[in-house]
Amino acid sequence: MTQPLLSVKGVSRYFGGLRAVDGVSFDVFRGEILGILGPNGAGKTVLFNLISGIYEPSSGEIWFSGERIESIPPHLVAQKGIGRTFQIVKPFASLTVLQNVLVARGITRYNHLFKVWGPWGSKAEIRKAMEVLEKVGLSDLAERKAGLLPLGNLRRLEIARALVVGHSVLLLDESFSGLRHDEISRLEDLIRSIRKDGLTVILIEHNMRVSMGLCDRIIVLDHGQKIAEGAPVDIQQDKLVIEAYLGGKGTAYAS
Amino acid sequence: MRLFLEQLLNGIAMGSIYALVTLGLALVYGILRILHVAHAAVYTIGAYAGLLIFNITGSLLIAFPGAMIVCAIIGVIIERFVYFPLLKYPPFVPLIASIAILLCVEEVCRLVAGPHILTFPAKLPFPDVSLGGISISSTLLAVYVITALVLLILWYITTRTELGLAMRAASQDMEISGTMGINSHFIVSITFVIGSAVAAVAGILVGIYYNQVYPTMGTVPAYKALALIVVGGLGSVPGAVIASLLLGMAETLLIGYANIPLPRDALAFIAMIGVLMWRSEGLLGSSR
Amino acid sequence: MSSYAVTIATLLVIQAIAVCGLNVIVGYAGQISLGHAAFFGIGAYSAAVLTTKLGLSFWTALPLVIGISALIGLLLGLPSLRVREDFLAITTIGINFIVEAVFRYVPFFGGALGIGGIPRIVFFDIRLKGVPFFFLCLGFLILVLLICWWFTRSWASLACYAIREEEAAASTMGISPVRFKLLAFVIGTAMAGLGGSLYAHYMQFISAGDFSFPVSVGFLSMLVLGGMGTLWGPVVGTLILGIIPELFRPLVDYRIFFYTLLLLLMIRFQPGGLLGEESFARKIIKPLLRGFKK
Repeated sequence: MTQPLLSVKGVSRYFGGLRAVDGVSFDVFRGEILGILGPNGAGKTVLFNLISGIYEPSSGEIWFSGERIESIPPHLVAQKGIGRTFQIVKPFASLTVLQNVLVARGITRYNHLFKVWGPWGSKAEIRKAMEVLEKVGLSDLAERKAGLLPLGNLRRLEIARALVVGHSVLLLDESFSGLRHDEISRLEDLIRSIRKDGLTVILIEHNMRVSMGLCDRIIVLDHGQKIAEGAPVDIQQDKLVIEAYLGGKGTAYAS
Repeated sequence: MRLFLEQLLNGIAMGSIYALVTLGLALVYGILRILHVAHAAVYTIGAYAGLLIFNITGSLLIAFPGAMIVCAIIGVIIERFVYFPLLKYPPFVPLIASIAILLCVEEVCRLVAGPHILTFPAKLPFPDVSLGGISISSTLLAVYVITALVLLILWYITTRTELGLAMRAASQDMEISGTMGINSHFIVSITFVIGSAVAAVAGILVGIYYNQVYPTMGTVPAYKALALIVVGGLGSVPGAVIASLLLGMAETLLIGYANIPLPRDALAFIAMIGVLMWRSEGLLGSSR
Repeated sequence: MSSYAVTIATLLVIQAIAVCGLNVIVGYAGQISLGHAAFFGIGAYSAAVLTTKLGLSFWTALPLVIGISALIGLLLGLPSLRVREDFLAITTIGINFIVEAVFRYVPFFGGALGIGGIPRIVFFDIRLKGVPFFFLCLGFLILVLLICWWFTRSWASLACYAIREEEAAASTMGISPVRFKLLAFVIGTAMAGLGGSLYAHYMQFISAGDFSFPVSVGFLSMLVLGGMGTLWGPVVGTLILGIIPELFRPLVDYRIFFYTLLLLLMIRFQPGGLLGEESFARKIIKPLLRGFKK
């Protein structure tokens, strides 16, 4: 059995009395596409925030490539090659699409005393950034101000930035939300090609068809706890999962 | 001992006045997240308006409500014509506008009423009281009573009425309370009405207490109030009140009683930084 | 050129240097600072003390002055930049009041009387004043602008813009928000210190009241009016807000009223500044430029 690339061990995160994430454990292996599913409020985004360093777990450990990363601040987690997108898109609105990607390209310079003063607008840099934009299909919008883009393009921009940073792992948070049919299938193709390039992808997704189709394995969270783990086919028939989504426990979820 | 008690009473009065001024600022910040420095302008106008009405009618009973109405109107005008359109910009834009309003109003007062210190020789309808050898002037008593009254009324409104509930909801989350049928803009305006009216009361009280009304009387309270709402916890009105009382007592006791030569106006900010280091949400603030 | 005009022009240039520094903090990195005058003052008092009490020349003292301003900016910035955005404005106001109080009450700084007898700057054996001094200041302004221009081409500026727009997203791209906010802050305070030093040598006499909170408001207003985050915004804003009081001088008593009213109107209707994205100035100039390009 190969060593997992990312390992979440007994991670919990409390906010006051609320257990947003409660004793969750799972492994992620290199080159797989892992899906994280669960009803609203299950703790999926909190889990991503824990992995990417925005939150520190109240208890538990997170291991990446043989290192413990749960206490490392987000900018250092990113340096290890873990890129992420946000559920609510966060473009750098007054910068152009190209500049948004260039910000991500700077990751190798921001911690360097001298390199950080070098120019960002060199031909080589712009070319590399354009390559990423082409991969996500945004190259003809390179000079557009990011704040003016519609949601579908903004999601792709998020992915472009995450691609630059995440040379090991990509954390995609609801990247399919609010997209049209054609955009969805293009994104599916993109993610498959990313995996072909050797990246590992973890995605949070509500769209059942997408997640069942894309993911190799799925874990399901509910109320902060992991209630199921396995192949898509098994998850679909898992009783606990069905109950969680249909609100069998008598609680209604606000949208 | 007697000096201590006298200074303590002065300090509480000082703190009460600070509380009245800071109250409006805290209310506005709680609901709009704007640092309403121009609140001091409303306060200054309140003092002048109160003085004017008193000089014309000879009656404080008319001056108080009169000034409160004037200030309420001005507060709403500021909110509707300046703050509301600027909400979509980063927070220092309304802040600069607020400071500009304060400076402009100070100038207008100076041009209209003259730069000299005017006197406010009114006698508040309270008796001079003597408690165990310590005399409490009618002004002092008035400050205590009126402040307590205002706080009581405010407490009643915010906790016992539907309006208060709406105000608290709106200050928690304007969008969501909007979807629940609360007319957010109306609530915002009401908040300004209340805060400005209280500022008017504070202005008149200060005018009588020190027997001074002058154009720049709002400058120092403006910035102290800012420090006070931070100390009390941004968004917490009770916190602002407590912080005000504490500062009033600290200023008076440290400088008037213990004679420590600290710059009086910097004390508020020093206290603020001290509190921030200890507890970053302020005394009663909630971490958001 | 009349000596009065030179006086005004020199002061404008000195202020513009400080406002450029503020632009790095507020415009590029998106951090609010309402205490910039404090650092202007720290530069001025450092220069005054070093040249009057230690007998250093302006040129020897200059790196020290900039170093001191930057260092104090670092020390004060560290706790300040960790607080929530709302607090930062008030904290910087507090810094202004406290620094001013230190200058006013600590005897070493001359107390309420300030420090006088600050020598003129000597350049190749010439004691500079009047027009030559103006050109010296202008030279420093150009230097500062060049630094800003170079800064905006560096990765450091991208990091600052990213923090300004979306701090959380920036951190997931390897940008440490605290580090870059601090960097911008230190650059800004260093520039303010430089301006303060020139101010001290120009006025030859400084006191605590020269660096009070209203001065900070003035700097911020100049920046906002000109356009935050633009290269020339600080210069344009300083020019306008510097010249207007002079234009209003004939109005004598009504000067300040019109000045503050104008400030209010400008910020109410053109918060992006004259060089900002949606300003009416741009709307007029853009079509003209397009015409030229064709």
